[in-house]
Amino acid sequence: MKKVFKNIVLILSMFIFTQNILANEQIELKEHFLKKIDNIIEVLQRDSLSKSQRNDEIINILEPAFDFELMAKLSLGKIWKTISNEDKKRFVELYVKRMKDSYSSKVDGYGGEKVEVTKINQVKSNRIALITDLVSTDESLKIVYKFYKPKKAKLDKDLWLIYDAEISGVSILKTDKAQFREFLKTKSISELMDAFNKKS
Amino acid sequence: MRLRNYFFVLLISFIGFSSLGADEVSDDMLDEFADEMIIEEKCDPFSAYNRVMTSFNDTLWVYFFTPVTNGYNAVVNEEIRTSIDNAFNNLYFPVRLVNNIFQAKFVNASEETGRFVINSTVGVLGLFDPAKSKFDLQEHKEDFGQTLGFYGVGSGPHIVLPLFGPSNLRDTISIIPDSYLSIIDYKKRGWFTLTDAWDEFLATKLYEKTNNFSLDNDKYEKIKEDAVDLYPYLRDMYEQYRDSQIKE
Repeated sequence: MKKVFKNIVLILSMFIFTQNILANEQIELKEHFLKKIDNIIEVLQRDSLSKSQRNDEIINILEPAFDFELMAKLSLGKIWKTISNEDKKRFVELYVKRMKDSYSSKVDGYGGEKVEVTKINQVKSNRIALITDLVSTDESLKIVYKFYKPKKAKLDKDLWLIYDAEISGVSILKTDKAQFREFLKTKSISELMDAFNKKS
Repeated sequence: MRLRNYFFVLLISFIGFSSLGADEVSDDMLDEFADEMIIEEKCDPFSAYNRVMTSFNDTLWVYFFTPVTNGYNAVVNEEIRTSIDNAFNNLYFPVRLVNNIFQAKFVNASEETGRFVINSTVGVLGLFDPAKSKFDLQEHKEDFGQTLGFYGVGSGPHIVLPLFGPSNLRDTISIIPDSYLSIIDYKKRGWFTLTDAWDEFLATKLYEKTNNFSLDNDKYEKIKEDAVDLYPYLRDMYEQYRDSQIKE
């Protein structure tokens, strides 16, 4: 009887131990994320900066948090494996630039909104989703930031990296994947890259 | 017996730790994320028409709505435009109420009712939204398309509507039952409606849309920036957005 009890205590303590580590990890990530947002807002409110200086500073803050390269690969899905190494390299470069430009232009419309983390979901040990509300005076926008933890921490990158964001239920990555797939049905990968170039 | 117990403990702790981050997944990152990135390729029988209508709407936006809303913004104060938008929104209360009830979302339905009563009275015919600002009563937008989706009706093929933009068969058909609950509609019925003929209805609807767009008239441009191919881009965004609304 005593042994059974001992085992139960052992199992329970193991369980609590693992749960604790998971919870700490989530809180650390949340704090880290909110600090980043604070830094960005601070840059946005600094009047002395020109628009391009401001955007560069914001990208510098954001870059370690995003795995843009992974996003580029995922946006092509199965097609990624079929293109040449040269195209792969060029595609990643252009995609990363496109993401940065897109973010910079979106942040231009900042009007004092606040970011609140409403929920943290951990579906797998190496995946955390931060569910946030972008709150302005008259409405709030639900944005989910999806993080993963690479097996080995990457140079100049955070431990947890964003690989997708969902805005009002619309995933940036899925939308890109869908439009690229459709585009590539009738056109080539180099035409897709030209289209990126034309936009910027 | 003792050995078996310890084996069990070991097994449990192993399961606990393995889920902790000792990644045993394959090196191939793409495969690791594959399950999350699945996007169904839906049958798109109207794609040729949809593409034409998407560029029609886009032209309408660029050459009509953008200059009109810019001019409108210069003349009408933002607070007034917000109030007009609130008032239109308040008129759609019956649509939201009935569809919340259809989906057995009774708490949301009562919150909507509270909002309608407060905003129609204290909020001067819905021009202001004291229900949200003073009473923290949130809006719960539901339409018949969401009700059908809630009961498992699929979206059907994607259809781009003139002026209204991306939609699908389910949501397009749903406009009819919702229009019966809309006070702006012109069809004859036993109660008061704001318009009596289709041209009045169209003018009212056009004004409502213009006023609504004017509040955030670069939103579409911002969304459009990331498009490589506008039609599938907007189509996919719409379907994802509707799916998430239905799940909520």
